[in-house]
Amino acid sequence: MRAYLTYLSKRLVQFAVVVFVGINITYLVTHMTPINPVEQSISAATTYGATSPEAIEMMRQSLRQLYGLEGTPWEQYVSFWKRVLVGDFGPSLSAFPTPVSQLILRALPWTVGLLLVSTLLTWILGNLLGGLAGYYRNSRILKAFGVLSMGIHPIPYYVVAFVLLIIFGFLWPVLPISGGATMASDRSNTLAFALDVVVHSILPVLSLMAVGIGGWFMGMRALVSNIVTEDYVVYAELAGVNRGKILRSYVMRNALGPQVTGLALQLGAIFNGAIITEQVFGYPGVGSLLISAVHAGDYSLVLGITTVSIVAVSATVLLIDLLYPLIDPRVEAR
Amino acid sequence: MRILRLLTVATGLALAATTAMSQTNVPGVPRNETIILENPEGTIKNPGWFNIWTINAGGQYTGLHQLALDTLWYIDPERGLDGVWENSLAAEKPIYNADFTEMTVKLRPGIYWSDGVEFTPDDLIYTVETQIKNPGMRWSALLALNVESVSSPEPWTVVFKLKKPNSRFHSLFTVRFNAIWIMPKHVFEKAADPQRFDFNPPVSLGAYKIHSFDPDGKWYIWQKRDDWQRTTLGRYGEPGPKYAAYIDPGPPDKRVIAQLNHNLDVVHDIAPEGMFTLTKQSPSLKTWFPNFPFAHPDPTLPSVIFNMQNPAFQNRDVRWALALLIDVKAVSMASYRGAATLSPIGIPPTGTHPDDYHIPLQEWLASYEIDTGKSKIKPYDPTIGNQIADMLRPTMKDQIPTDPAEIRKAFGYGWWKPNPQAATELLEKAGYTKRGNAWYTPDGKPFSIKLMVEGDSRPILTRAGTMIVQQWRQFGIDAKTEVAQGTTMLDRRIAGDFETLISWSVETYGGHPDLSFFLDSWHSQFVAAPGKTQSPRNWQRWSNPELDKIIEEVRRISFDDKRTVELGRDYAKLIVREMPIIPLMAYNVFTAMDETYWTGYPTAENPYANPVPNWGNSRSMMVKLKPKQP
Repeated sequence: MRAYLTYLSKRLVQFAVVVFVGINITYLVTHMTPINPVEQSISAATTYGATSPEAIEMMRQSLRQLYGLEGTPWEQYVSFWKRVLVGDFGPSLSAFPTPVSQLILRALPWTVGLLLVSTLLTWILGNLLGGLAGYYRNSRILKAFGVLSMGIHPIPYYVVAFVLLIIFGFLWPVLPISGGATMASDRSNTLAFALDVVVHSILPVLSLMAVGIGGWFMGMRALVSNIVTEDYVVYAELAGVNRGKILRSYVMRNALGPQVTGLALQLGAIFNGAIITEQVFGYPGVGSLLISAVHAGDYSLVLGITTVSIVAVSATVLLIDLLYPLIDPRVEAR
Repeated sequence: MRILRLLTVATGLALAATTAMSQTNVPGVPRNETIILENPEGTIKNPGWFNIWTINAGGQYTGLHQLALDTLWYIDPERGLDGVWENSLAAEKPIYNADFTEMTVKLRPGIYWSDGVEFTPDDLIYTVETQIKNPGMRWSALLALNVESVSSPEPWTVVFKLKKPNSRFHSLFTVRFNAIWIMPKHVFEKAADPQRFDFNPPVSLGAYKIHSFDPDGKWYIWQKRDDWQRTTLGRYGEPGPKYAAYIDPGPPDKRVIAQLNHNLDVVHDIAPEGMFTLTKQSPSLKTWFPNFPFAHPDPTLPSVIFNMQNPAFQNRDVRWALALLIDVKAVSMASYRGAATLSPIGIPPTGTHPDDYHIPLQEWLASYEIDTGKSKIKPYDPTIGNQIADMLRPTMKDQIPTDPAEIRKAFGYGWWKPNPQAATELLEKAGYTKRGNAWYTPDGKPFSIKLMVEGDSRPILTRAGTMIVQQWRQFGIDAKTEVAQGTTMLDRRIAGDFETLISWSVETYGGHPDLSFFLDSWHSQFVAAPGKTQSPRNWQRWSNPELDKIIEEVRRISFDDKRTVELGRDYAKLIVREMPIIPLMAYNVFTAMDETYWTGYPTAENPYANPVPNWGNSRSMMVKLKPKQP
């Protein structure tokens, strides 16, 4: 137990350092880019409207004050950390004065819903079919699936997404091609709205699954192919144990360890958002929000999103590290 | 295996069941009473924010500035509903005193906000005073710089006393694209801080009021007011659509699909390829020009912009040499697949400008002569439009007009002939030398040029820039493109961190000959020192005493003075002589309109408004649209 506590404290310190360094790097990168949010705002305000150079200079001064961009770089850095420690990322500079946290909280459920479902489905189906393919090596259907999934796996994601769009949005227009829900849908009717959201997520989920499933499939098939040659599996087969039971209890369970680790890491990365998916399908999630923040030079928002992501991924890794010594006796807490 | 078969069948059934759901189907908002338009802003980050007076806060083109807001005057980039100039909340044109230090506005009575409160002079005064009191609001600086006081000495009259003479002060309240919109005093005065007030739900002064909007920012639906007669649009008749939805339809391919599925009535802008797909596949498509080039020529002028503070481009002969190396036919094909409306002068060929400038200057352009040092040449070719039409005819067949007047309207009134020999002589005159296949500057360095392009964020101009660079390279200049996407391009443009750039620094009213909208900021008094931030719009950082003289005279005369056209022509001639920018073409906007549900869109044959749906003027469309299927 003592060894575990030492391990725990070391890992917690490591977690804090990783988060601190990660956020600082993001802060530095966003603040060192030549993008100036004040100029972006001025540009947005004057692109189409009549203006005068004198007025622009006045506007520049006012916006610096309004956005809290006055003071030395050190003062700005200290003020940033003071706010981050209480979970306040300040106002968005491209949607001023709406707080960054409000924008993230609005987008997060969409991303989490989309990626949680697609990641879990991809993982379950990929592992299930991969396991079956590794065990029933002569099945034609599974062989065909293997060829198909390995064929799709290397195709760039956006190509698959576009093909799905053309098929189900245009040639056979049965699925919505954009957004998270139907325009003006009644959100108070929870069941109908939930169904609507599910229907809108079919194409993004399908495209994520089409590309992602091959990786899990191949990984699981390789793991199972090794396990089926182990003595205990051969012995069970010779002893006439039901093949389904062998597959479930002897093969799959033993193969799942590394796959579970992979799943946990993917779940942590959900907070990054699925930038391309959300862009292609116009999905209102964190990925779309991040892209729009980058285009607008809104570094408050970029920092808010990346901080949430850094904390989420680091926390997942920490959790896995803390759980492994407890559940797998082969892993020591050192 | 049984499971797999079951899954397949279930998926098929589920897809079939969702067919109806994939169509735009808004409960309580019948499709045949709704016009659906694209909002090019995309998804709005803070959708519940309607306070347009705060800089860069929420969405603007969500229908907010097209349908809900109003101001004193409008200038249509085309012909307008009842002429180019429209008195909107003002009952008549602005009245200035002799030295332009005072502007009087007579307001239109009988106009009501959507909550039943009457619009009064107090709203206008409140708009001005609130913004002056709150620095950092959208028009605070402009009003603070100009307005000494604003008052209403008699009913329905507002008098602005100005800090200094300004013959164009009214332009702040005149919609070209947008303008200073009037605030509802009775709503804003209850807010603790007008800058942090979301104005949700917005109280409308237009013929529509908010019906609903997406909490995730993808759509806004506006509903026709029952009392639409009590709005400034009301005098033109009843708006056709009961509902107007402004949506984010997603990337370009999705817009094309959405329109082919009749789920998007007006597409703001798509690439030429998307438009060509629609012209082939959509029988209900309506475009600005009925045939090639289909697009609406925007009153902006994409050009090759020289950084005039760079010593390499300070000699006029060098700039002209570079212009004469451009084969504009190839640039037109590369950028717009030929669907470009060319302009050899610093004024876009759109709205009423062909009549005011392009046609009257034809004779002068044809006789314009350049002395290369070894010869005298006449560089203008008035037949370029015909040549492009001839090039396109084999593939586009009867899509290409045959009437010479139509060809000029579609492809422009001519451009410069490529003339490498004259370019050689001009460069040699400027002290440049050619050794082998490469050109060298007068101080013996390789003549290299970087042309900044925007990359994927503006593909048409990127293609144009790439073609121009290729043509310069073929001549022996070490030319390269450099990509600066989106915000980087904006930052580098204002910082003067470029050698040459493909963009526009000319924006006009389109429908009115006055050029002050962009020209005033070209005065040398506003040119920033090298390395300092340049204010809009003189990105070329050009200062010229002759230009200053023109601008100063424009400032001294009235907006409608006939002399503005003469001064505009003087400016156009000066640009030809000096070539601080190489004007290329109008920024053609491929706006696609679907006639499945609505008819009566503005077109080149009936140019009552700019069809691009994010322009404030596009409100005019509402009173002209009629249901296709009654």
